[in-house]
Amino acid sequence: MKGFLTQNQTLFFTLFISYLLFASAGNTQETPGNIVGEAPYPFNSKDTRDKDLPDITLSDSVLALLEGMSDQDIALLKRAKASRFTGGEEGIEEKITAFDNKEELQAWVDAIRFVIEQSEYTEGRDAPNIPLNMESEEFNAWRMIRPRSLDPEREPGPISLSRPGISQGPITFGYLPMALTKEDLIAGEVDIAILGAPLNMGSGWRDSGANATAQLRLHGGEIGGLDQYVMVAAADVLNMVDYGDVAIDNLSTERSMGHIRSIVREIAETGAIPMIVGGDHSLEYPNVAALADVYGKEKVSVIHFDSHYDAWWGYDAHLISHGYPVYRLLMEGHVRPADFIQVGLRANGPDREAFKWMREQGMRYHTMAEIERRGWEAVIDRVVEEASEEGRKIHISFDIDVIDPAFAVATGTPVPGGLNMRESISIVRRLCAEANVVGFDLVELHPVLDPTYRTTLNSVHIIKACATGIAMRKEGITEAHYLSPVASEHAIGDYYGDQQKFLDKTAQEDAKEDAKEDEEDPKAEDAQKEQEQ
Amino acid sequence: MRIFRSSYTIAFSLFLNMLVLSHCAHAEQANFPSSFIEKIAPLNEQQKSFILNGKATQFVPHRQLVHEVQTRDLEGITLFVDDLMRVAQQMTYDPKTNMGAIPLNLKTRSFNNDVVTPQILLTHKRAAGPFSVNRYLFPESGIATFAGANLAIYPDDLIAGEVDVAIIGIPSDMGSGQRSANFAPSYMRMTNTMATVDEQSLVNPSQVLSIADYGDFTLDRWSAERSINHIAQMVAETSATGATPFIVGGDTSILYATVSGAAQHHGKQSFGLVHFSAHSDNALNAVHTVSDEQVISRLLREGIIEGKSLIQIGLRGPSLTPASLQWFRDNAIQYYTMAQFDNRGFEKTLKNIKRDYRRGPSKWFISIDVSAVNPSDIIAAGRIEAGGLEVDQIKKALRHFCASKEIVGFEITDLAPMLDLSKASVTNANALVNACLNGVALRKAGIKPDYIHPLTREDGE
Repeated sequence: MKGFLTQNQTLFFTLFISYLLFASAGNTQETPGNIVGEAPYPFNSKDTRDKDLPDITLSDSVLALLEGMSDQDIALLKRAKASRFTGGEEGIEEKITAFDNKEELQAWVDAIRFVIEQSEYTEGRDAPNIPLNMESEEFNAWRMIRPRSLDPEREPGPISLSRPGISQGPITFGYLPMALTKEDLIAGEVDIAILGAPLNMGSGWRDSGANATAQLRLHGGEIGGLDQYVMVAAADVLNMVDYGDVAIDNLSTERSMGHIRSIVREIAETGAIPMIVGGDHSLEYPNVAALADVYGKEKVSVIHFDSHYDAWWGYDAHLISHGYPVYRLLMEGHVRPADFIQVGLRANGPDREAFKWMREQGMRYHTMAEIERRGWEAVIDRVVEEASEEGRKIHISFDIDVIDPAFAVATGTPVPGGLNMRESISIVRRLCAEANVVGFDLVELHPVLDPTYRTTLNSVHIIKACATGIAMRKEGITEAHYLSPVASEHAIGDYYGDQQKFLDKTAQEDAKEDAKEDEEDPKAEDAQKEQEQ
Repeated sequence: MRIFRSSYTIAFSLFLNMLVLSHCAHAEQANFPSSFIEKIAPLNEQQKSFILNGKATQFVPHRQLVHEVQTRDLEGITLFVDDLMRVAQQMTYDPKTNMGAIPLNLKTRSFNNDVVTPQILLTHKRAAGPFSVNRYLFPESGIATFAGANLAIYPDDLIAGEVDVAIIGIPSDMGSGQRSANFAPSYMRMTNTMATVDEQSLVNPSQVLSIADYGDFTLDRWSAERSINHIAQMVAETSATGATPFIVGGDTSILYATVSGAAQHHGKQSFGLVHFSAHSDNALNAVHTVSDEQVISRLLREGIIEGKSLIQIGLRGPSLTPASLQWFRDNAIQYYTMAQFDNRGFEKTLKNIKRDYRRGPSKWFISIDVSAVNPSDIIAAGRIEAGGLEVDQIKKALRHFCASKEIVGFEITDLAPMLDLSKASVTNANALVNACLNGVALRKAGIKPDYIHPLTREDGE
């Protein structure tokens, strides 16, 4: 790669210019300092839920047992952090009396100090960051936009990759045309841009990368196809494109976040709905942040489908992983806690403390426990109602581990007891039709974990359900839990006693369809006349 | 399924006996013992001639025929022979009960699905030339193309890009083997290990050649017969641009169409054919007129390829009957069975093959049915056969062939990716394509065919 760059100075110059453009574009946006590199992170990175507990008080009998020990050692034993070893105020005496001699006691104290001190960051001893080779000529190679001048000139707009009229070559999502630039999206009046995001760092298994987006394309032919439940084919109603994959530095989630955010922002700025697929759940962070960049902070709600609540923090030295996106979005003020609506929680987290924290924050959660108690229909209605409040813009973040592993085993952290496919498809379709969806992501697919293609196929049909819903909304079908009358009743005989209703409703829809066609035709004629003149 | 397949193969080899070498069957008449002749004496003339002229051995092995006759009484023999004669009669076309052709819906909305929309009708205008399907300069994922190359859709794109190698998918799946060869182009695109540096010469084909992904050619998915004209015409059209078509099948039935297409441009018998395959692919009188099992015999019979300019490598398995080999010999075909490789050793046999290749025409079409490869390297073969050559051995041969003479076409067929959960077969199939790409690159760079870069050797010499 090095040789290639130096051989071609024109190319190098173009790279340099596009780098400048990218950097300046980053600066003009209201982008937090952490994204443009001015600040490591925009908020205090200490977990706001950590309470600074006071030192414990040592009783006289305990102090007597510690006689001869240094003041430093005694101070250490008083620290709340040492309680997990000392047993706290109540347990410490028992621990200490168990030692036969002073040497053993001292060794015990030293060990406690060792664990506490070694676990915490210590200036001078620990590297405060992960160094990069800033001398590398390939520093930004991973996200270098291909200069347009390298390809034959073309008009902006979606590009078909098939031999027109007959066959497919390279496979795209839903056999959709490809778009590569913002200009393509604008020229094509694109409604939905599907973006592959092969982020492969976060979820313990490493197959949510290039293979995940490739498999989603290979088995994704149905994405824009007819949905029989509602008799709408998304690709017929909407302008949909494959927006390629976003570049990822798969050796650093942190480095990837800013670029993902800029590409998602680029899509949203055109008014198109970004659908980000593949990759791990760290993606929720740049996706929602990008929507907040475009629509304003606290203007977008998030429906977070997941068996996990993903608001963990401080479990390692990293500032983003697939367990942290919700915490970061809240702490950076992109989303109000009340606008974070979680569905399908059932994993070993949130624990009791986390649930209490979520209540304090005013977050809304719909666990599998609620579904078991209230029934699926009641909960789904409540979720849709909450999502549609004030016609708010919503982003759906769909972690496939919300689905039961029977249907979606190929995921990083599967948890049994989840939604089945009928439930999953129906709630996603309903949300995308009945609420004002401005963004969607589907994450945590690791195809290699499923020797059949079931999980990939099911993931594709979740994406399809949302595309269908968005198309329904465009067609004006936003009534609660709409199902096609012609698809749901043959209306021969009167088995259910209401069959005539279905015939009438079908006739109504047909009439509406005819009227629309009549309306469209004169317009088309006028336009043709204008062109001729 | 297994049982069905093996009995099918046995039946097929019997069938080949019948079709290919009826004169061999005649010769067996002398093999009947006199007691046998006596035993069938009471039968009528028709029955006797059915047995003695060798027709019966099309349905039962000679050994079983003798056994059945000698252990049955006259009634039993009559029943046995009549049954065989009835089968013989019912095997053939009967206008009263058989369809003599496969009817089609002549009133369908779209009878021909292979009409390419002319460029002028497209709303989106672009200058000719292969274009990238990537947003990035150094993409690591995204929409997958062969060799990560730019995409070309019309012949104009190939001409404008001065494309040397156009890699084409033909996702046919109408061959006699197991299905899923139609997935091979997609998987070989997704497993992007094509056009990588040659480990022997250290030449990087992408640096030397202009390579384009030329998309897929369309097919009638339910008829090999209805697909061949379009494929042949598209291959000829590709060749006419000056690009060498590199074809990724699909099952082996497309070989007839692709070689015909190359011949449309370069001329019949103007080039030779190297065909790596476990199978003889030389059926002569099959019911279907296009299939993998008859590509070789069709190409010869129609004068597209000359027998003496055909090299068959890697033959083994049930299609390798004395009859099919005799047919090869009668047609002056140079064939190299696995028995030859085993007896003489790989290097010596390869040397002989290279000699044939050198003495042959100046232009060649190189074809590899992945059944030629040992299943331990490529298990995802539609017509799998135990034993066979290793990927590294075939790579060595391919690199030599593609470097030492002009290549009018390269083709890899019958990779059925779903048969290999690990997808290692796909990586190995890509490596075979890469070997020929490397060869073509060596030739273009003016480097001699079997050049070994000194840095690749321990001693540096």
